[in-house]
Amino acid sequence: MKRIDETAGKNPFRVPENYFEDVTRRIIAETAEKEAEPARPRVLAGVRPYLAMAAAVALLAVLSYVTVKVFMPLKDQRSIPEISIQEFSDSYLNDIDILMLEESAGSLLFSEEVPEVSQTEIIDYLVLENIDINEIHELL
Amino acid sequence: MNAPDQDKDLINLLKTDVNKGFRLVVEKYSSRLYWHIRRLVILHEDADDALQNTFISAWKNMSDFRNESSLYTWLYAIATNESLTLINKRKRNAATSIDDIGTYLAGSIEGSTWFDGDAAQIKLQNAILQLPEKQRIVFNLKYFDEMTYEDMSKVLKTSEGALKASYHHAVKKIEKYLEGA
Repeated sequence: MKRIDETAGKNPFRVPENYFEDVTRRIIAETAEKEAEPARPRVLAGVRPYLAMAAAVALLAVLSYVTVKVFMPLKDQRSIPEISIQEFSDSYLNDIDILMLEESAGSLLFSEEVPEVSQTEIIDYLVLENIDINEIHELL
Repeated sequence: MNAPDQDKDLINLLKTDVNKGFRLVVEKYSSRLYWHIRRLVILHEDADDALQNTFISAWKNMSDFRNESSLYTWLYAIATNESLTLINKRKRNAATSIDDIGTYLAGSIEGSTWFDGDAAQIKLQNAILQLPEKQRIVFNLKYFDEMTYEDMSKVLKTSEGALKASYHHAVKKIEKYLEGA
């Protein structure tokens, strides 16, 4: 930093005389003509009563459904036919091309694609691992 | 450099009297933001435009600002965006390629009426202008504005680790440039 510090504290840029007073006046004058954006109305504030009503109706519907299910006789409930593993594999798996299944599974399991990691993520990781900043600089 | 405590009063005033509050914001931050912008866009005329655009944008988006925790970083973020917008406009107008913008801005320094740096300062500015855009912003904010990495991460929406590394890279490049110059 020695070479850089030779110029420290010196500002080589200049501005016209009374520039800051002048620009402040101009900005105030310009913004005074324009209305400040009003605070954004809260979207939820307006619909909150309706949301409360909808929630109450939904709750009633759920309670009614549960009540009916618990207290009504089971006569209408249809049982799901039981199916053995053998039947399942005979009937369903025969319809699927096993090679296709293996190919798609293989591409997922043995993919050589490496997820992309950005330099920023690498730097973050190395900094979190307390790797010296000079070493990071040399590595990257 | 951060002044969140002093800004609390300013934010409260903005809530009660937006015109008076905004005037105080402009008075407090116009100089500081001007120098930040000027170091990025180099020319005084461009910095003047970008500064006004910064405050007009802040004024228009006051509702967002009132919800922000830090007025200081919010204004710096707007100023940085306005500066980059202006630089991109210059790139298009000057038909200058993206890679050449540093050289283009460096050429503007010596011809500028509002620059009276000595040879060492011109070298330093040229070295800074050779940096990639984001690295240049990080270097300026740290070196000239003495901004903390915490605040800088809010301004640039980048992690502190990446900013530290970016600043370190920038310093190395500048030192190398100055040694060779």
